[in-house]
Amino acid sequence: MLHIKCPYCGTRSQNEFAYGGDATIKRPELNKEVSDKEWDTFVYFRKSPRGKHLEFWHHISGCRQWFKVQRDTTTHEIFKTLKPNEDI
Amino acid sequence: MTSISVLKNVHKKGLFGDHENKNEDSLIKVSERKNLIIFQIVQYKSSSISIKDINIDGLTLNDETLKVSNNNDTRILWCGPKSWLLVSSKKDLLNSINSLFKESDFAITDLSHSRAIIELEGNNSVEVLKKGCPFNFNELKKNNCVNSVFNGITITIDIIEDNPNKIRLFALRSFGESLYHSITDASLEFGYKNI
Repeated sequence: MLHIKCPYCGTRSQNEFAYGGDATIKRPELNKEVSDKEWDTFVYFRKSPRGKHLEFWHHISGCRQWFKVQRDTTTHEIFKTLKPNEDI
Repeated sequence: MTSISVLKNVHKKGLFGDHENKNEDSLIKVSERKNLIIFQIVQYKSSSISIKDINIDGLTLNDETLKVSNNNDTRILWCGPKSWLLVSSKKDLLNSINSLFKESDFAITDLSHSRAIIELEGNNSVEVLKKGCPFNFNELKKNNCVNSVFNGITITIDIIEDNPNKIRLFALRSFGESLYHSITDASLEFGYKNI
């Protein structure tokens, strides 16, 4: 079981969290002309890296806040957790 | 205020589990609370109002993790950043709450009818919670609260007393019976008294 440090509540068991996907994906800018391919890439295409990965997690059974986690996808080691507006 | 019992079909008074040859005072006491008002208070992210200026029944909103502001009637539980759960036995608090918070800064939601509240008393009540909840209970003291899960059910735990333990559990009303069964199953080995 993973222990994840929520930036708001502290370290908690993985049971309290829900995975929220890749945190490196940027939504196309508002009101900008977007091609079908760009939109398709934004919605569907994800990398599946081996090693460090920045991802969103949701503390769904705790403070209900979203935050970022930098995790190694092979060892599950968690290097850092950040608030959504923070960058590594 | 929850006037209709959530647990009326399952909560029967009496002694259960391994209670024989034990002093009744050493058993866990399980009860349902239904005379409390519950309000969720959420401050909008765009709001810049200082929460220190807000006074509810002599209490201020606390911005510290796990902390509960409390007096004899009212408890304000920290639920997350800019989010609190107000629990009180004062029914007239409802009117003052609405006048205290500006609609442009706060969302106030009456959850009084949407929560099941179970109270556990006795020193083994923490042992019961440890069976289904991954939280490290050694960190919790009197007037602390935590949102976590118990056997997959999202719950709010409020430590009212810590010697002996008196713990209040909140769950969504529809999960009330399920949580009750999980709690009483976990209490069997210690023996419990339904009151």
